[in-house]
Amino acid sequence: MTDVIVVGAGPAGASAALTAARAGLEVVLLERGPFPGSKNAYGGVVYGRVLDDVLPGWYDEVPVQRWVTRRSTMVLTDTQALTVDFRSTAWGEAPYNGCTTFRADFDSWLANKAVEAGAQLVTSTVATGLLVENGVVVGVTTDRPDGDLRAKVVIAADGVNSFLAKQLGLLPKTDAAHLTLGVKEVLSLPREVIDERFGVRGDEGVDVEILGCTRGIAGGGFVYTNKDSLSVGVVVSIDGLAKSGIRPEELIADLKAHPAVAPWVQGAEVKEYAAHLIPEGGYDHLPELSAPGFLVTGDAAGLCLAAGIWLEGVNFAIGSGLAAGKAAAGHVQRDEPLTSYKQDLEGSFVLQDHKRLRKAPGLVLSDRVQQQYPGMIADLVEGMFTVTNPTAKPGVLTLLRRSAKKHGVKLRHLAADGLSGGRTFR
Amino acid sequence: MGELVVVLLRCTDLRPGVDPLTGAISRDPRASALSASDAAALEHGLRIGELLGKRVLAMTAGGPETEAPLREALALGAEVRRVPVTASYLEELAADERALAQALVAALQGEVPDLVLCADRSADRGTGALPAFLAHELGCAQAPGLVSLELTPDGLVAERRLDYGRRERMLVPLPAVCSVEGAGVRLRRASLPASLQAATAAVPVADVAVKPGAVRVVRAGPSRPRPRHLPAPTGTSRERLLALTGALLSHEPPTVVGPVGAEEAADELLDFLVRQGYLSEARTGWAVT
Ligand SMILES: Cc1cc2nc3c(=O)[nH]c(=O)nc-3n(C[C@H](O)[C@H](O)[C@H](O)COP(=O)(O)OP(=O)(O)OC[C@H]3O[C@@H](n4cnc5c(N)ncnc54)[C@H](O)[C@@H]3O)c2cc1C
Repeated sequence: MTDVIVVGAGPAGASAALTAARAGLEVVLLERGPFPGSKNAYGGVVYGRVLDDVLPGWYDEVPVQRWVTRRSTMVLTDTQALTVDFRSTAWGEAPYNGCTTFRADFDSWLANKAVEAGAQLVTSTVATGLLVENGVVVGVTTDRPDGDLRAKVVIAADGVNSFLAKQLGLLPKTDAAHLTLGVKEVLSLPREVIDERFGVRGDEGVDVEILGCTRGIAGGGFVYTNKDSLSVGVVVSIDGLAKSGIRPEELIADLKAHPAVAPWVQGAEVKEYAAHLIPEGGYDHLPELSAPGFLVTGDAAGLCLAAGIWLEGVNFAIGSGLAAGKAAAGHVQRDEPLTSYKQDLEGSFVLQDHKRLRKAPGLVLSDRVQQQYPGMIADLVEGMFTVTNPTAKPGVLTLLRRSAKKHGVKLRHLAADGLSGGRTFR
Repeated sequence: MGELVVVLLRCTDLRPGVDPLTGAISRDPRASALSASDAAALEHGLRIGELLGKRVLAMTAGGPETEAPLREALALGAEVRRVPVTASYLEELAADERALAQALVAALQGEVPDLVLCADRSADRGTGALPAFLAHELGCAQAPGLVSLELTPDGLVAERRLDYGRRERMLVPLPAVCSVEGAGVRLRRASLPASLQAATAAVPVADVAVKPGAVRVVRAGPSRPRPRHLPAPTGTSRERLLALTGALLSHEPPTVVGPVGAEEAADELLDFLVRQGYLSEARTGWAVT
């Protein structure tokens, strides 16, 4: 019998194990991979400020590829690209903003912090189910001989599509409507070539989020710079992908061939391909976060923030994991109810951001934003910058009306979406 | 006869990264694991140790990254020991397997094992020579490349593959060094309580050093030629099949080298590697000291 079992040594599980172990609890951290991060796929950027309090100076030791000092948002059509580009030298200095990092490195580093705090990491071990007695979770079963392990609290940090949360009925058996599929390629490219093509130096890096690159399937794309490789990928609605009959790697091939992206990736060689689900239901589709003897955290609880130009999962996993470890400690040491976990999250950025941006997934993945606005905006800007002499310049409103009409957008819809966007992101 | 069955394990990253642009190989120490042959050697060792009622010692030569696989062996009931070697990739290329065999025997601290088991070849750069050097150092019999190993009333019976699908059965006199293929065993898994206990156990480090090899590798090129871009296939399926198999193309005839001295033979080999695209440097750039 141990105090806490944490299932999954991703960012959520490692953080939960860290706080629980630091509080003096006996913690077993189970991971199915041979080492933390070995099985984990994501896009590429971690926003580490969530660690400021628990691991002060984290930025001096985190295994970083590049610090993101330049962020671009791109809108693409087949032949056009509109980019809003921002760079800040402040993001290249402590306490930094975001960094590109590989999950094998980052997850191992974070899990090691939990081990240093006293948690016991057991790898190559799958938690196959929950032990439930009289409606209370009392442990887990594993795929090892003599593999049942009992604990006062079990924390499910087993990622998206959590089988443990499903066993308790906290998550529906299937839920394709609230999941997206992320696929990415890591492309090898010499460091100097990346520096030159993306206009960065040293350990500066770039994060590009892209709309309009998924053949009308709800979703978006990304390009991130690592030291000597690029991460290029798309995130798309599963329903939309299934209906389209398009294979996800075709979408990456399209993106790499786009005239605005092709010069970045020219001569690069594919090093790695990965695919993974992302929970994108947002606040309105979160499960119950606790049950007797049980907490669910990170992607397992659907806490990844996917709100258009923000795809932040790791920091939300860390934030919720830290709170889960704290709640487990309160329960074991002071008999506090596990429901304090949700209250804690409501007072932190985790549920506050989710709540504020609860309408964002619906808005950003809507047909108009996905299929009509990219072309409309690109045409509007092309009209503004095309010099049509001897004809005089058309007014912006005229151009807007023209491009809206061309793309079948009614101005009242535009106004309504503008208003709801304003409300969502206010 | 001793009281010990020894299993020598090679722990290495089984899926090293290959940079597609340069061919450079990178190994991740966290991914250190046992190859199928090493895992089979351990399984044979545990089973035969049980049957003979002898202690089983799993030993590896490597850095601290090899401790995770050793702990798995510990959880399965073996004693474990590490011979400290922290060689760079270049140093490893030059490693002298005889020196390694001597260090491993020294790490046994005078104990004479009944049986030494290891993989038929190491997964990363296997020459298969270590078992022979070990047998020489221990002055015992050797039976390399086995697919099965059974303890019978007559003694230890081993089986290995021969050409044309035939098998050879041998009675192996003990003490012996046996190397095994990754086949013919069902691997056991450590129980959860044993894994929990082993997870934090210290792995003893033998107080021996591996002597540096006689060869010094100055530098190494990529382990395979750079990928070449091939044009998209054209023509009928028959034409494409012919192009792919090269059936009707003339081939470079086999090269017969020799009899020549060691230096000319080395020159021939280097020329061949340059011709095939494995080495880009001129022959004079390759110094072997
Ligand atoms: C393509 C893509 C791009 C993304 N881009 C970003 C980005 O740029 N920035 C960002 O912040 N987020 C991004 N995300 C989201 C982010 O990856 C997740 O939100 C985050 O990894 C969630 O962390 P977690 O610890 O909850 O789950 P995970 O990281 O999934 O970790 C779960 C762990 O549990 C283990 N596990 C699962 N089941 C079991 C079991 N039964 N027994 C034992 N162990 C088990 C797994 O092996 C894994 O180690 C992206 C996701 C995808 C798919």
